[in-house]
Amino acid sequence: MALTIKQQLSTPGGILKFLVKYNTIFIFILLVIFSALISDVFFTSVNLSNLLKQVSGIGIISIGMLIVILTGGIDLSVGSMVALLAVTFAILVNIFALPLAILMTIVIGFGLGSVSGYLVAYQKMAPFVATLALMTIARGLSFIYSKGSPVTFTTVGGKFMSDFANNATLGIPNIAIVFFIIVICTMVMLRYNVFGRLIIAIGSNEEASRLSGIKVNKYKFLVYAISGALAATAAIIVASRTNLGSPNMGMAWELDAIAAVVIGGASLNGGKGTAINTLMGVLILGLIGNILNLLNVPSYPQQVVKGAIIIFAVLLQRFESK
Amino acid sequence: MKNSASEYRLEMSGISKSFGVVSVLKDVNLKVKSGEIHALLGENGAGKSTLIKILSGVHQKDTGTVVLDGEVINPKNTHEGQVLGINVVYQELSLVNDLSVAENIYLHKLGASKSWMNWKGLIKDAQELLDSLDFKIDASAKVKNLSIVQKQVVEIAKAISEDTKILVLDEPTTVFDPKDVKKLFQILFKLKEQGISIIYISHHLDEVFKIADTVTVLRDGVDTGSMPIADTDKDGVIHLMIGRELKDLYPKRDIKIGEVPIFQVKNLTAKETMVNDVSFHVKPGEVLGIAGLGGSGRTETAKLIFGADKKKSGTLILEGKEIKTNSPVDAAGYQIGFVSEDRKEEGVFLPLSIRRNISVTSFKSISSKLGFINVENEYKKVLGLIEKLNIKTPNSEVNVKNLSGGNQQKVALAKWLSIDSKVIFIDEPTRGVDVGAKIEIYNLINEVAKKGVGVVVISSDMPEIMGISDRILVMHEGTIYGELQKQQFSEENILRYSIGEALKQYN
Repeated sequence: MALTIKQQLSTPGGILKFLVKYNTIFIFILLVIFSALISDVFFTSVNLSNLLKQVSGIGIISIGMLIVILTGGIDLSVGSMVALLAVTFAILVNIFALPLAILMTIVIGFGLGSVSGYLVAYQKMAPFVATLALMTIARGLSFIYSKGSPVTFTTVGGKFMSDFANNATLGIPNIAIVFFIIVICTMVMLRYNVFGRLIIAIGSNEEASRLSGIKVNKYKFLVYAISGALAATAAIIVASRTNLGSPNMGMAWELDAIAAVVIGGASLNGGKGTAINTLMGVLILGLIGNILNLLNVPSYPQQVVKGAIIIFAVLLQRFESK
Repeated sequence: MKNSASEYRLEMSGISKSFGVVSVLKDVNLKVKSGEIHALLGENGAGKSTLIKILSGVHQKDTGTVVLDGEVINPKNTHEGQVLGINVVYQELSLVNDLSVAENIYLHKLGASKSWMNWKGLIKDAQELLDSLDFKIDASAKVKNLSIVQKQVVEIAKAISEDTKILVLDEPTTVFDPKDVKKLFQILFKLKEQGISIIYISHHLDEVFKIADTVTVLRDGVDTGSMPIADTDKDGVIHLMIGRELKDLYPKRDIKIGEVPIFQVKNLTAKETMVNDVSFHVKPGEVLGIAGLGGSGRTETAKLIFGADKKKSGTLILEGKEIKTNSPVDAAGYQIGFVSEDRKEEGVFLPLSIRRNISVTSFKSISSKLGFINVENEYKKVLGLIEKLNIKTPNSEVNVKNLSGGNQQKVALAKWLSIDSKVIFIDEPTRGVDVGAKIEIYNLINEVAKKGVGVVVISSDMPEIMGISDRILVMHEGTIYGELQKQQFSEENILRYSIGEALKQYN
């Protein structure tokens, strides 16, 4: 029973229902209007492009988090993976040609994600525990390989990446373009690709999926591996922005990524969530940080506001499911 | 091993199956022709589900052969079964709620298909299939927005979307109203015309006699008869379904039952389950049995009274006073106990010690005003119960998961005995319990009753419920269908009420 927007709005209580249904976008628009009203600086191209640059890294790992959460899992390792893979990329780009360094970093990210995937899918370890272990291992390794200090890009390849990451095409920062492409690909995958439909099926009813002859373990394995590969992509981007790979990068990013996915209406039980809503979740979190910065609010109160927004968004979603 | 001369499409012969020491199927035969509707009947626990699960590949048989279209088959999982053309529509719906109807119908194909979705084709095929079943369902709708009946039809569509030779329906009509049942039958007749063999499991004898061509009856894991439906009648079938002997398992009881009911239930109706207008009472010292088939609402009734499910209307009266139990906490506060049928999930804390399991319901009586546990009192109480219930354990600190099923059940009972309950509901007291422990549990139930407690026992085991109850209520489709006094106890009477029939009148 697909109602048009107009029909939805004209039914009794329709406006409220409509707002609740599209609450993520609604909150996003409210925040944009609010930001524009209270700050003259907000709608400047410098500020908006900074905002996009800031959210792109977390945005990319949020997409990985989304597909893991769709299967009913969780990936706590992505923040530490960003640190380890940023250091790895900085080391590799100083040795190998740029395309090879990029490829190797992504393959290593895929491999690290595969470890979580193997533990979850084939060793039946709880996703929380398996990826928690990977989280500390990755953070530890990133300090070991970097000897505790940032690794700076020194080669032409590194210079090229740093230019790429700090420039814009048609006014949109290049790294935001990378993020948007990943979002669009994920949208298409979740809607039109069999892989996407099957991970939703698994998250929605794992037993029914198994009984339908779906190789549940294979897909559960793959989502963690893909999350690892996306963490590598995010790592390359954030390292290139600052021209170095540091073991302190990506601190607590896994939590922001989970927050973005949840604000985007996904259920931690799996089966529910979309890429566009996760994008909104990422932008909402970024906007809150951005506007509070413009208002010179210190970082600790910022965290309180962030938490409050998460609670508000999730409470709104409860109306929807009723 | 070709045997094309056989008139049967499916021949299961000499099938036996044991789970551990429990023998579930003994030398069972089931022969189904192509294009026939074959009813498979039997009480709870007669082995129908196990037989079907062997056919479909969920379980592996111990002995016997299964021949489909002249070929010996041996499916190792449901997928292999499906490839062979055996599809089962289970009672518990196995649909994926967050996907569309079309995707659900073709889910097994998605798993093996190419990378990209062909949405148009998928929805068109699914819609054609659904339209051919004559039920109005939108193939592009999400399954979670469908009614239960619609979901069941999607399940059937899913099952026949493949090249199906054998379609098994396990109690398909429990959620249907008469109009929908009629439509379902039309679907089945259509499928039958297409040459599909249908195995139809149902407790509704009326339905069976309306649609089945042949009937096979199981009792206690043995097939007691198979015949064309025209050669028998309801009484004949019921006779084949029952007829066990009462074993000398049940302790003699000599308890004075009080006159005034200790607990009364009036017109209880549930908000979310099928429980509907249930009224009964239990007297102090009485053991009241609740019988009925699986899905008749017995457990749901107990959970409703205990406050675990939400009530829509109805009154509970304990010792003459009206009480409200909106949560298990309320119920426990009124000293109403509930021992769940699902011992491992809802009855005991497997990883905790016996002591902690028992004392969890009695913190009030063993702790000081500030909430500190008086360890001495705790041990005294726990050790007393372990001795009284004869729980076989070296000491009170053994984790419950290491005990046998019977001893686990005693721990679950001890939890409620430790707070001097006034009414106790015990759901399937001896499921998965060996015979020795069974007798101890029956003795325990009697002892509890002796103290003036009203004991309500829910059981699917007919000899058991007749052996231990003073009075039996029989549930059917969410309500109390009939009440049997001790002199009326018989498997036949319980079964007749269970399937919504009247008692047979003897002149």
